Amino acid sequence: MGNLAIGVSGALKVLGADVVEPPYTNKRTLSLGAKYSPEAICLPYKLVLGNYIEAIEAGAEAILMIDSPGTCRLGQYSNIARTALTDLGYNNVEFVNFDLYKGKLLEIYSGFKHVTGNGNPLDLIYAVRIGILRIKIADKFDKLLHYYRPREVEIGSADKRYKKAISLLENALTVKECNEALEFGVQSISSVEIDSEKQVLHVDITGEIYVVLDKFSNMYIEKELGRLGVQVHRQINLSDWIDRSLYPSILRFSESHDEKTKRFAREFIKRDIGGDAVESIGDAAIAASSEITDGIIHLLPFTCMPEIIAQNILPNVRNTKDIPVLSLVMDEYTGRAGFVTRLEAFVDLINRRNRLPQRRCNASCDILTV
Amino acid sequence: MKIGIPRALGYYNYYPFWFGFFGSLGIEIVLSDKTTKKLVSEGSALVVSETCLPVKIYMGHVLNLLNQKGVDIIYSPSIQSIDHKIYNCSKLRGLPDLVRNVVKKDFLLIEPTLDKSEKNQGLYQYLYESVAPLGITDKKTIKKASKVGWAYQNNFTGMTRDGMHPAEAMETAIKGKVVIKSRKNNYPINIAVLSHGYNLYDNHVSMNIFKKLENLGVKAHVSENLSVEQMNEGLNVLNTSLYWANELEISGAAGSFMTNKNIDGVLTLTAFGCGPDSLMVERITRYAKRLQKPLLNLTVDEHTGEAGFITRIEAFTDMLYRRKRSNIVQNLNKQIKIDSERQEVVYSRDNIVKV
Repeated sequence: MGNLAIGVSGALKVLGADVVEPPYTNKRTLSLGAKYSPEAICLPYKLVLGNYIEAIEAGAEAILMIDSPGTCRLGQYSNIARTALTDLGYNNVEFVNFDLYKGKLLEIYSGFKHVTGNGNPLDLIYAVRIGILRIKIADKFDKLLHYYRPREVEIGSADKRYKKAISLLENALTVKECNEALEFGVQSISSVEIDSEKQVLHVDITGEIYVVLDKFSNMYIEKELGRLGVQVHRQINLSDWIDRSLYPSILRFSESHDEKTKRFAREFIKRDIGGDAVESIGDAAIAASSEITDGIIHLLPFTCMPEIIAQNILPNVRNTKDIPVLSLVMDEYTGRAGFVTRLEAFVDLINRRNRLPQRRCNASCDILTV
Repeated sequence: MKIGIPRALGYYNYYPFWFGFFGSLGIEIVLSDKTTKKLVSEGSALVVSETCLPVKIYMGHVLNLLNQKGVDIIYSPSIQSIDHKIYNCSKLRGLPDLVRNVVKKDFLLIEPTLDKSEKNQGLYQYLYESVAPLGITDKKTIKKASKVGWAYQNNFTGMTRDGMHPAEAMETAIKGKVVIKSRKNNYPINIAVLSHGYNLYDNHVSMNIFKKLENLGVKAHVSENLSVEQMNEGLNVLNTSLYWANELEISGAAGSFMTNKNIDGVLTLTAFGCGPDSLMVERITRYAKRLQKPLLNLTVDEHTGEAGFITRIEAFTDMLYRRKRSNIVQNLNKQIKIDSERQEVVYSRDNIVKV
């Protein structure tokens, strides 16, 4: 999921485990997962199950799973995947659970210790630190890429440099190496030749965290939007998620994105209903109050329970706050052509809307925060 | 004072309680009409097409109350969790929020929250929130009323545990009676019908499944006939623990029925797109294979045709009949074989005596 693999595999490598990374999610993963999943389950489960199967085929002996309560079907993933894998005959695979029912730090410690056989807490703290650092650096690269992609002169040049920076980061196992990778990446991506005159639209992508972050399941929407001359603002990223869920709440001083969305969403949804529904609605409300954002794209997997509620409420947000919203439902049958057509139509729409006299022309806004 | 309660979702499980509770506080309850095709299509028009059938029906009932019944107070509770970290489905958790955002009308929405995972959101807080908007804030009165409510609810539960059909039990419970019937009829086939109350006892959704089964000579068993302990044991059979608020009535009941020798087959009825059910039915399917219990999964949505529905149920019962018959024949054959072997031995003894 997004940059998670970069972080976790880094942490495990630091501890000396032999990490089998499954190939990045592809069509085969999806069809494998869909074959052994219940029909009506959401896309992320199908992909996760496909990933597990591919990892086992590639020789993995242990599988890490996260259990967390009070969300949605996510909390049952490991449980149901285990039954499915046992029925498939993979009996000698070990399942390691991060059971967030029990407490966060302890579970991570015992989980890592179990997999790597390295019980030294200092090593472990270092490993987790490297993992988090790698995720944060990768997220920074993402943000840079979002800025340079719609403005680049030679199409594809920003992506090329981004890939190079990521591959450098994948081999960085110490803090120093990570920082070197960061420096190199920032410099390399920032030196992409750009058309500074170009009028760029600003779209905020929100929705269910897995499909927002996983490039395969959202059909490379960020790349597609970049091609259409849209700068993507994605408030949902892993660094934020880590800050929110791993650090104790006392150590946080500023209002996190999560709390901000909750504050903005209260007008429309009064209670937390699990998943990322409140964030989606809050993001839409925030985007409406921001001066640069031109529209919202709401991504959700088919049959996602919390996001269906969000999808139902978003038309009300759209009407009261006056902000264009496009909800896109992703599943294994989503066709690429239809998907791109919808994006193009949406971009056309917000482009035309900006030309209306009452809308202040904000194409000159050049916002880059890293 | 009149409040409108939609005849959908929680109605099928908790109505006796609400009846007693609101009744003793002097609040009149107005129920919406029974589900019709028109009502479903009106409800579906309000929400996105992906939303599950029960929620669409709920919206239809809310509209029915506001438009036809002339009610301007709607009672729409949000049951967040029924125990520590045992949460409900997101769509049920956000139900009042959904109603508030999609129904564009002027009305008072009573939206109490029951959340046992939070410290101050227990039953009495929930009940307080239920009636505070109506001007009743005395906690003692509320507590007293809740006792009346529980009396009705317990009567209802007692009758269903005894084996009475929940729809009939609800009618009897609301009259304030308890009827324990003696059951004489013997049925050739016993099927466990598993689903949520709002799917099974809404005759429009389940298409009168109980009547259809009765006509085929099948006795239908439902989760309401089981005790909580039996259903908890059922969860152990399926090697799982409680995760969803309404998991007992499906997974738990399935585990209990699948290990029961008197049950010939299991039938599950799911609304299309139901999140918790997709996982529970998956688990049941896998374990039905292991426990060798015949299983029929039926999925319904607003477009399901009755003909196809009947055909599947008939085919399933036919299969169960055949299976039972062949079992009987096999057993008979075994018996005959044993008998004839015995007879041979007897003859030979006779022969020995004669010689």
